[in-house]
Amino acid sequence: MNDISKLAELRKLLLGMERALGLEDLSAVERDIYYAASDLSKQAQGVRTTGLLTHALIQDVSRPTFFRALKSLVNKGYLSQSAPSRRGVYVVNSPNS
Amino acid sequence: MGLKSIATETVFASTAYVLAFFITFAGLMPIQNMFFPDFHSSASLLFLPHGVRVLSAWLLGWRSIPALLPGVFFTYYYLAGEKTFMLSRLMGISIAVLVAPLVFHIAAKLFYDARSRPGHDPCWPCVMGLGVIAAVIGGILTNLAFGSPPLDYFAFFIGDVAGLFFLMMALMLTFRLWRTKTTR
Repeated sequence: MNDISKLAELRKLLLGMERALGLEDLSAVERDIYYAASDLSKQAQGVRTTGLLTHALIQDVSRPTFFRALKSLVNKGYLSQSAPSRRGVYVVNSPNS
Repeated sequence: MGLKSIATETVFASTAYVLAFFITFAGLMPIQNMFFPDFHSSASLLFLPHGVRVLSAWLLGWRSIPALLPGVFFTYYYLAGEKTFMLSRLMGISIAVLVAPLVFHIAAKLFYDARSRPGHDPCWPCVMGLGVIAAVIGGILTNLAFGSPPLDYFAFFIGDVAGLFFLMMALMLTFRLWRTKTTR
């Protein structure tokens, strides 16, 4: 094994630990979007994509990363699309629901 | 295995050991003395270098012995000066570098090979478990070599196990932070 693969092995070992501790469910960007959506949902029913994009937690996230993470959150059930007539509006779901 | 690779392993493992040692004795021991003023032992209750020993043994196998030796020797010399060459301390140095790779080797022969190797998923509970066994054996042998009081046996065990766990947690969080920064 070369030095890079040793580092990769160490990362794999600790990633296994991270998964076992339940910390790997959401990526950092997904988590930030979820926190931002939870924050915005206190003010209004349904969270707009435009509102999320301007939230302080999301400011450093690139648009492609943001939309990929948003789609992933919908797929994982953390967010769901609001009524079909209200495109770009999401409802925040509890992680356990 | 080239000479350059062995030198790189030695620099990384020994530097990590010395760093863990100074974090333990300069950073954590004063906090321990503040919270446990009645604990009259020189042993650390959060001994991070044990984590470096276990992870080196897991990753490098027997090669962790020469890789860690300069670091372990340096820490003994830092604490004991010329007395490092006393038999008890030379035994302490030997125990510090030998026990973890020996435990991984014996475990591989008897029931499960947890050592890092290509095409094999790392098993962190196995590494942790073998680290605990290494802590028990290393603690008993070191304290026998030093003729320590019974309290030190427990203190060494607690310190080594807590040190291994906290070092792995700290590395896990560091890698996680690194991943977060690079995926933004």
